[in-house]
Amino acid sequence: MRNGRLWPVHLVLAVGAAAMVTPFFWQVLTSLKTFTESTRMPPVWIPSFEWSNYAEIFDESPFLRQFGNTVVMTAGRTLAQLLFCSLAAYAFARLRFPGRNVVFIALLSVLMVPGQLFLIPQYQIIQGLGWLNTLPGLIAPGMFSAFGTFMMRQFFMTLPREVEEAARLDGAGPLRIFWSVMLPLARPGLLALGVLTVLWSWNDLMWPLIVNTDPEQMPLSAGLSALQGEHMTDYPVLMAGSLMASAPIVVLFVIMQRQLIQGIAFTGSK
Amino acid sequence: MSAGEVGTVERAAVTGRVAARRARRRGLRDREWLWGYAMIAPLVLGLGVFYLWPVAQSVYYSFTEWTLFGDATWVGLRNYERLFADPANAKALKNTFLYGGLSLLGIPLSIGVAALLSTRGLKLVSFYRTLYFLPVVTMPAAVAMIWSWLYNGDYGLINYLLSLVGIRGTSWIANPSTALYAIVAVGIWTQIGYNAVIFMAGLQSIPDQLYEAAALDGAGRVRQFFKVTLPLLSPSVFFVSVLGVINGLQMFDLIYLLFRRGNPAREETQTVVSLFFTRAFEEGAKGYAAAMAVVLMVITLALTVVQFRMQKRWVHYA
Amino acid sequence: MTGKTWALVCAGALVAGLAGCSSSDGGASGGKVTLTYAYWDNENQGAAMTKIAQEFTRTHPNIEVKLQFTPNKEYWTKLQTAAAGGTAPDVFWMNGPRIGLYASQGALLPISDQVARDKVDMGKYPKSLVDLYTLDGKRYGIPKDFDTIGLWYNKDLFDAAKVKYPDASWTWDDVRAAAKRLTDPAKGVHGIGAMAWPQELYYNTIFQAGGYVISDDKKKSGYDDPATIEGLRFWKDLLDQKVSPTVQQMTDNDPIEMFKSGKLAMWYDGSYDAPQYARTEGLDADVAPLPAGPKGKATVIHGLANVIYAKTEHPREAWEFLKFLGSEQANKIQAESGAVIPAYEGLQDSWVKSMPELNLRAFIDQLPDARPYPVSKNTAAWSAPEVDAITKAFSDGQDVEAVAKQFAATMNAALSQEK
Repeated sequence: MRNGRLWPVHLVLAVGAAAMVTPFFWQVLTSLKTFTESTRMPPVWIPSFEWSNYAEIFDESPFLRQFGNTVVMTAGRTLAQLLFCSLAAYAFARLRFPGRNVVFIALLSVLMVPGQLFLIPQYQIIQGLGWLNTLPGLIAPGMFSAFGTFMMRQFFMTLPREVEEAARLDGAGPLRIFWSVMLPLARPGLLALGVLTVLWSWNDLMWPLIVNTDPEQMPLSAGLSALQGEHMTDYPVLMAGSLMASAPIVVLFVIMQRQLIQGIAFTGSK
Repeated sequence: MSAGEVGTVERAAVTGRVAARRARRRGLRDREWLWGYAMIAPLVLGLGVFYLWPVAQSVYYSFTEWTLFGDATWVGLRNYERLFADPANAKALKNTFLYGGLSLLGIPLSIGVAALLSTRGLKLVSFYRTLYFLPVVTMPAAVAMIWSWLYNGDYGLINYLLSLVGIRGTSWIANPSTALYAIVAVGIWTQIGYNAVIFMAGLQSIPDQLYEAAALDGAGRVRQFFKVTLPLLSPSVFFVSVLGVINGLQMFDLIYLLFRRGNPAREETQTVVSLFFTRAFEEGAKGYAAAMAVVLMVITLALTVVQFRMQKRWVHYA
Repeated sequence: MTGKTWALVCAGALVAGLAGCSSSDGGASGGKVTLTYAYWDNENQGAAMTKIAQEFTRTHPNIEVKLQFTPNKEYWTKLQTAAAGGTAPDVFWMNGPRIGLYASQGALLPISDQVARDKVDMGKYPKSLVDLYTLDGKRYGIPKDFDTIGLWYNKDLFDAAKVKYPDASWTWDDVRAAAKRLTDPAKGVHGIGAMAWPQELYYNTIFQAGGYVISDDKKKSGYDDPATIEGLRFWKDLLDQKVSPTVQQMTDNDPIEMFKSGKLAMWYDGSYDAPQYARTEGLDADVAPLPAGPKGKATVIHGLANVIYAKTEHPREAWEFLKFLGSEQANKIQAESGAVIPAYEGLQDSWVKSMPELNLRAFIDQLPDARPYPVSKNTAAWSAPEVDAITKAFSDGQDVEAVAKQFAATMNAALSQEK
């Protein structure tokens, strides 16, 4: 599809994009309606700008606190995954040690297991540590990832061995090589893993629901689910809440778009 | 001291240094396994404690009657016998496969979007991409709310739009005959952007010469697409479909969030994972639920193996 | 000091409102003890719970109570996960459908001995609730509150349709007639909401028709009994006559929201939803006793209890707190908040007065006709499929009798699994 006139392409893409975005448009519109307006047919297209739907979120839930929790949780998990996964991934990709493949495959088997299976044992561990309703409890299991390890290992395997060989001839040990040679080279991979982890962590729901039930210690996703429990089908308030909870990550995505796209493209290329 | 002597000394020094370096390298090689273990230790410990150990525990508990709070008592294969006798499981499994299978329908759409976005000379690419990508980054809890509102039988936008063309809609997620497809549609909506990005990367890696060669052979654009693009895109298609099937099999969040008490479509939409959740956490049959999870794990594994086997038939690695 | 004298001193101190007893025989000798108290309704009851906890610590300075709120939807998941791990909250809310499972699996501390020793008068609470939390002769909880169901109605819609307000003399026929006259498709108003909710709706009519959900010996389902099926058919007929929104519509739009926004003229709902109806702007609603069926009047009575976790590290302090929660003082705090009807005898009046604009007396007046919420040892094993089955029965084109009978077999199978 090269050359030629591009307007048919634009037309198709625009229609598709409109379909993709309409749900969000409807979300924003509803969030500004009164309940009565929201249940009127045909729909009210110019709402009465009921900002109190948003105020209600701040009144009912410690929104800023939950926002802070989400940021800390996301940052903690992401940094830990970047470190632990890349460290192990390098070893799996380049170092030789007995049992390497067995261990690696054992770790990968985690990917085949439905997440709910881990819930009770993980909860017991966090409870044993006395971390219920704390941020460490929220973060801990998400610090380790089989997927992240797999992805980083694939990435390290694509890097040329020559650079490493040179460093080794200079007498650098594996840790030094990893830290000062490989890690800088793996920046695109790290960025990819980083953005994916941020995304996953921000939206994670089930674990926070179980482990942190104190509204002060919840992340936004769990807070949103609690909001639904109280408001049932009061959609204007629910739409306002869902918009505020997901807006930060959307903004981040628009800013970091290039990295995220590269990251996803990378996971698909291997 | 003669010059020759100096040379010898220097030479000796050089040889010595090389030998020392070699020795160090050998030492390092010898200790490579130690480094290896040290570097994987934190991850293995974390994954072991938080993930592998729970799996082992669950396999054990699947052979026990593990009630709510009591200790587990060994019951052998009884949970598995009950599991195969329970018609709810057959239904949940069927639904689960439907989710996994139907979610593949999003792939052609994603390829289409990716192909259009890869059009040479197209402007506004990143603008379009952003719009297609928005659902990917939106919280599942928010996605569930937005769509249950869109699907609303009385006040939903979808039914309003349908009414404009004279179609009477239904309560999409409360109607047992539409609910499952409604959820699949939401799933596809959230994945199009993600998959399109993967396909765009795949398209970029296809060398131009191949198109040119095909064009010289007189192939039109459509033929080029089927003869060049699609085969060379097959690794990406493979990746996306494996991921899609696994996600479909583990479908839970949307169902948990969308189906509240008294939804007439609940039975028709139950997946193995959501049924597992009901059994384990609502009915308190943890041993039985563990057996369900083990079976699902085996099925996922088997399917993945099958997919990898089949890829030889249709995936072309350049 | 022996346990008995110790308890006496404790009881004395409690009565006198003096400093409480320290857990001198526990590990934390003389130190402060912190109890965790879990509950699920923060919107209506959070304030009362906080006040009760503060009041308790004032009289028992060495015991601090930490409140742990969990939204209803996740409450049982969370509690179960915690209990499986061996450390659930020390004291927590319990309901009828769950008590059998938790008590029979040893998750709750039996309190029969403590009740006898401290001479707690269980006669102060409704008998059906005391019985609900007694299993195999052992007591597990002190009732916290209770609720009955009433017929809520929208006065404006009744006035507009010129229909007389419901009163205690109403029967099923009055409901049918009124529902027909109140339905106005042009305005999207339905006479009544026939949703497949057990406690609020179909259990009541099953009892009013002379049917039953579960036999007294907890061994047999009542869903193949013609009277039970008649109780279900009451709703199905209203649905068939289109004087109620469909079950699908009420899944999309919560019937409570529909009633609040004037789309339903009548709605069966519990006393616990009174605060939100009183609070809703633009809604002029009131409540009447449930209309009588072929076999007379009946309403479901249910109530929560406070219970103690079997493996609590502070059984002594937990019991002190439990006793306080069951005391007249704590019940009074609940009554004044208006959120729930306190379980303690003689305090219902202050609840009735908490929302003078509503005829809350209707809920209390029905007590003589109240029927306990049907439960067994593992209620959840059949109650979840029950809601699915009845929902199906209420859907278009389904035969109530066939679905009910089919479910009876399922329920009997589940009951036979109970030991």
